[in-house]
Amino acid sequence: MSDSISRIGNVMALKPSNLPVNPELSPAKPFVRFENVSKRYGTYTVLDNLNLDIARNEKVSIIGPSGSGKTTVLRMLMTLERINDGIIWVDDEPLTHMQKNGKMVPATNAHMRRVRGKIGMVFQHFNLFPHMTALQNCMEAPISVLGLSKQEAEARAAELLDMVGLGDKKKHYPIQLSGGQKQRVAIARALAMRPKVMLFDEVTSALDPELVGEVLNVIRKLGAEHDLTMLMVTHQMGFAKEFSDRVCFFYGGKITEQGPPDQLFGNPQNERTRQFLSAVLEAG
Amino acid sequence: MNSSTFIATALADGLLTTLVITLGASAVAIILGITIGYIRVSSFWAFRCLAIIYIEFFRGTSLLVQLYLWFFVLPFFGVTLSPWTVGILGIGMNVSGYGAEVVRAAIQSVDRGQYEASVALNFSRFAMMRRILLPQAIRAMLPAWGNLLVDLLKATSLVFFITIPELTSASKQAADTTGNYLLFFAVALFSYYLIARLLVTPFVRLSERRFSRGFVREAVA
Ligand SMILES: Nc1ncnc2c1ncn2[C@@H]1O[C@H](COP(=O)(O)OP(=O)(O)OP(=O)(O)O)[C@@H](O)[C@H]1O
Ligand SMILES: [Mg+2]
Repeated sequence: MSDSISRIGNVMALKPSNLPVNPELSPAKPFVRFENVSKRYGTYTVLDNLNLDIARNEKVSIIGPSGSGKTTVLRMLMTLERINDGIIWVDDEPLTHMQKNGKMVPATNAHMRRVRGKIGMVFQHFNLFPHMTALQNCMEAPISVLGLSKQEAEARAAELLDMVGLGDKKKHYPIQLSGGQKQRVAIARALAMRPKVMLFDEVTSALDPELVGEVLNVIRKLGAEHDLTMLMVTHQMGFAKEFSDRVCFFYGGKITEQGPPDQLFGNPQNERTRQFLSAVLEAG
Repeated sequence: MNSSTFIATALADGLLTTLVITLGASAVAIILGITIGYIRVSSFWAFRCLAIIYIEFFRGTSLLVQLYLWFFVLPFFGVTLSPWTVGILGIGMNVSGYGAEVVRAAIQSVDRGQYEASVALNFSRFAMMRRILLPQAIRAMLPAWGNLLVDLLKATSLVFFITIPELTSASKQAADTTGNYLLFFAVALFSYYLIARLLVTPFVRLSERRFSRGFVREAVA
C-alpha cells in the first residue's frame, strides 16, 4: 500500500508550476532538498531562506559557531521543529507539505509520518529508552512501527549490535553502559528502522575524549558499508575533513560557505570561515 | 447468638466490606485515572477539554455529595444503581480525578528527549505513549498513587451514608452497644493502618520494583 501511495505522491510530477524554482539549487535530483526554508522563533530568525541540496549517499558535515542554526536544520528535517517558510523535500516528496486539490498545504501528521520513515536521527544525549535493554531499545520501533515479528526484530537488532561492537552488551540497560556504548546503541537503534538518511547531531560532544573514537569508527563503517545519505553536525574538524564529501559552514542562520573539505579547510574563501576555523584550531 | 459473637461478626463483615470497596474502587481509580490522564495530554483540543471537565468535577466537589448524587438523584433519571456499585464506582471515579492529574504531571515530567527519540523512530502517538512514555511515567507517579490509595481507603467509610455498613460504622455500633469506645475505635484505627500497611504499601513497592528496571545500576542478569 505504501508503495502505491508513494507513487501517487511522487510530487516532482505534480509539482505546481507556481512554485519558484530556485536557481541556486542544482538540477541533479537531490535526495534531500531544503527549498527557501526559514525558521523563526517569534521575531528572531534562526534560519534565513536556506537552500541546501543533498545527493543520495552524500555525506555532508555542518560546522559553525554556537547558535548558528546547525541543530535546527537537522530538527526541521526530523520534523521535530515546524518550519515557517519554504518546503523540505525527501526522496522527491515534500515532507513538510502535501498536495491537496492541486495546492501545497502543510502536511498532516500522517503524511509526515510516512515520509519521515526514511530518516533516522542520533542525538547528542543519546535519548536511549532507560527502561529497556540495549537489545529491546533496538527492537521496539521495528516491532511497534514496522510490524516486524519479535524474532525478526531480535535478529535484526542483534546483528546491528554486533555491527557496532556491542554483541556482548545486549542485555545491558542504558545505565549499565558507558557514554560511547550508549551512543553506539543509539546508532544501532536508528539503523534498525532501515533509514535512507541518517542525521547526527554532535553525537560525540557528550563523550569523554577517549570514547569519541569508538563512535566515529562506527560512523566510518556505516559510510563505507551502507547506502546512507548522512548529514552531521560536528565539532570534530578532523573527522569532517576525512569523512565528508562536502562541508557547510553555517553562520547566523545562513550557509556562509560550502565545498569539498579540502577546499573549505585548506583554502576558505570567506572571512567568517577563516575566523571560525582558526578559533577552533587554536582551541585544539 | 450472644452479643460478643454478634459484635465480632458485624466487625468482621465491616472489615470485609471496607476491603472489597477499597480493592474495587482502587481498580476503578487506577484504570480511569490513567485513561483520563492520557486523554488530558491528547493532541486533540476537544479531548483535553473533556478530561479537564472530568477532573474539575471529581476533584472540585465533595465526595459525599457525589455519592449522594449517584445514589439518590440518578434514580430520578431512571438509573438505579446498587449501593455497592455506587460505592465502588463513586469513590473510584472521585480518586481517578486526582489520579488523572498525577498521571498528567508524570507523563509531562518524562525527559523531552524520550519524546524526540520516539518521533525520530516514527512511533505513532499511541505506541509512544504506551511503550515509551507511560512505563517511565508510572515509575515517577507511584509514590503519589500510594498516597491516593491510602486516602481512598480512608474515604471508604463514607459508603455508610449510602446504606452500606463498613468498618467505621460497625466499630461505632459496637462501641455504642458495649460502651467500650476506647477498645473499638482503637480496633478500627489499627485495622485501617493494617490494611494500608499490608495492602497498599506492598502493592506500591512491588510496582516500584517492576518499573524501576534500568533506573538503578544493578548487576546484569
Ligand atoms: N525553542 C526555541 N526558542 C527560541 N529560540 C530558540 C529555540 N531553539 C533554538 N533557539 C535559538 O535558535 C538558534 C539556533 O539554535 P541551534 O540549536 O540550531 O544552534 P546550533 O548551531 O546547533 O548551536 P550549538 O553549536 O550550540 O549546538 C539559537 O540562537 C537558539 O538560541
Ligand atoms: Mg546544536
